[in-house]
Amino acid sequence: MTVDARAPARRAGRRVPPATAVSLTYGLVLRQLTSWGRIIALTLLSSIAIVAGFAHGASDTANLDDAVGMIAALGFAVVVPVVSLVFGGASIGDLREDKTLVYLWLRPIDRWPIVLGAALAAMTLTAPIALLPLLLGAVLTGVGSGIVVGTLLAGVVGVIAYVAVFTMLGVWLRRFIVWGLAYILIWEGFIAQAGPGVARVAIRKYTRSILVDRTGADLDLADFSLAVGIIVPLVIAVAAIVVAAWRLANQDID
Amino acid sequence: MSALPPPVASPFDPPDPTSRADGWSGPLTGMIAVNDVSKFFGSVVAVSEVSFAIDGGVTALLGPNGAGKSTLFRMMCGLTPPSRGEVAVLGANPRTDRDVRGRISLVPQQDALFDHLTASEWVSTAARAQAVEDPDAVAAWALEQVELHDVGDKRVGEFSKGMRQRAKVASALVNDPEVLILDEPLTGLDPVQRRRMIALFHQLGDDGRCVLVSSHVLDEVARLGSRVLVIAQGRLVATGDYRDLRELMDDRPLRVRVGVSDPRRFATALVERGLVTALTLDPERLVVDTLDIDAFGRQLAPLAVELGVRLTEGTRLDDDLESGFR
Repeated sequence: MTVDARAPARRAGRRVPPATAVSLTYGLVLRQLTSWGRIIALTLLSSIAIVAGFAHGASDTANLDDAVGMIAALGFAVVVPVVSLVFGGASIGDLREDKTLVYLWLRPIDRWPIVLGAALAAMTLTAPIALLPLLLGAVLTGVGSGIVVGTLLAGVVGVIAYVAVFTMLGVWLRRFIVWGLAYILIWEGFIAQAGPGVARVAIRKYTRSILVDRTGADLDLADFSLAVGIIVPLVIAVAAIVVAAWRLANQDID
Repeated sequence: MSALPPPVASPFDPPDPTSRADGWSGPLTGMIAVNDVSKFFGSVVAVSEVSFAIDGGVTALLGPNGAGKSTLFRMMCGLTPPSRGEVAVLGANPRTDRDVRGRISLVPQQDALFDHLTASEWVSTAARAQAVEDPDAVAAWALEQVELHDVGDKRVGEFSKGMRQRAKVASALVNDPEVLILDEPLTGLDPVQRRRMIALFHQLGDDGRCVLVSSHVLDEVARLGSRVLVIAQGRLVATGDYRDLRELMDDRPLRVRVGVSDPRRFATALVERGLVTALTLDPERLVVDTLDIDAFGRQLAPLAVELGVRLTEGTRLDDDLESGFR
């Protein structure tokens, strides 16, 4: 075991371009997150939307408001946030827990590409697992194309915002699942229902607003315009990535 | 050890970081410079007022488990900031200077790897993360250095503990680091691989790199090199030459467990020859204290042959730093 003088030429101390760092992190995290147990469990959860959509479509009393209410209550209150939490939180949270984060952290790489790459990997898994069953459920309600377009648009915006926020949570907190569920169930599911002021700091209100804008259905706490419904969650996502990158740069790494 | 604080009367006298050969009391300098560093975790003091500086070559950081070695390494790599004092690696703060991180490599103590990757993928990923040109070629070269090139297509999740250690070392070589920090890198290696790995460290050190290796096993340190930093309970308790430390350790009895087919007769012969200072006996083995471990080791097998007894075990019970600080 000796150091070979003919070792390939290397250059130490050079910076990794952000695009390379994003791509590197994306590939690593995507493979790390791809656990069949997790994918099957979350797909089963999401599939409830298909069953609910079919049941609604088969009902004699099916109407637009009920269908949109069902998609909002099941899809945007449970499926999208929970699937986003599992993948978003685990994207960096799992690396920190299993102590592999050091292999990314201790490189000449900026922090934001690590967070962005991890969040993109989580979105890559969350989007099909959460949105495809939800879209199928929306189609099966049989109340027109508006609900499908609204579900798709709100779903994409919701996945981006929730994954970014929960990626930040995974960087910040060891028990990201507990805190994430507390946010989904207690804040968004209970406290944010108290009034329009509090609801502004709940992502769910923005996804509901998009859904209502595209369908014209009558839902509570869904009075933002389409532009606000799209732009604010995207701004939240960017802010979450920035905060997560700052936190990653300043926290202790095991 | 030129960059270390000046020699002290006893290797176990704590070095005075403010006392330098040139009489200057400013900060220490070197490829790694640790100046009056302390680290607290709440009320727990992990590292306390440690100062030293080291340059190229191999240096061993010795200390019993929980002494603060890993915490010190983490601070040197910027993974955690010191609570007090300053750590400089290659003249920069590794916590905040992104560029200097490309000139340092760490082999962490923990066993964690990206288990889904093959060894080649693992090392080439490390090379890409260091902005290395032609990462696949560098990965192949690095795997060859640790003799894993034949199993490059195998997933690291299927590797033994020793192979995982070697894979970690390979990934640490890809950026041609000026400073290489290895936390217990010999754990899990078989004797042959251990010897080869130590030779690799020496080669890297001889090339001018600063190679800092931690261990809690004295025999490993004996082979790692003569320059030693000893840390215990978070404090730097000795710096200097390994041989001084070894002599001091040899001044106290070492304990050895000997498995033998006739312990009573064997024990009598050991006492008659003055090889032991104390012993305890049970039906299958005896535990002895000896002041001269080398003479004891040399005479053990010939004595067994002479007495016609069968040796089944010879284990040194306190050949680590835990015993040194008891």
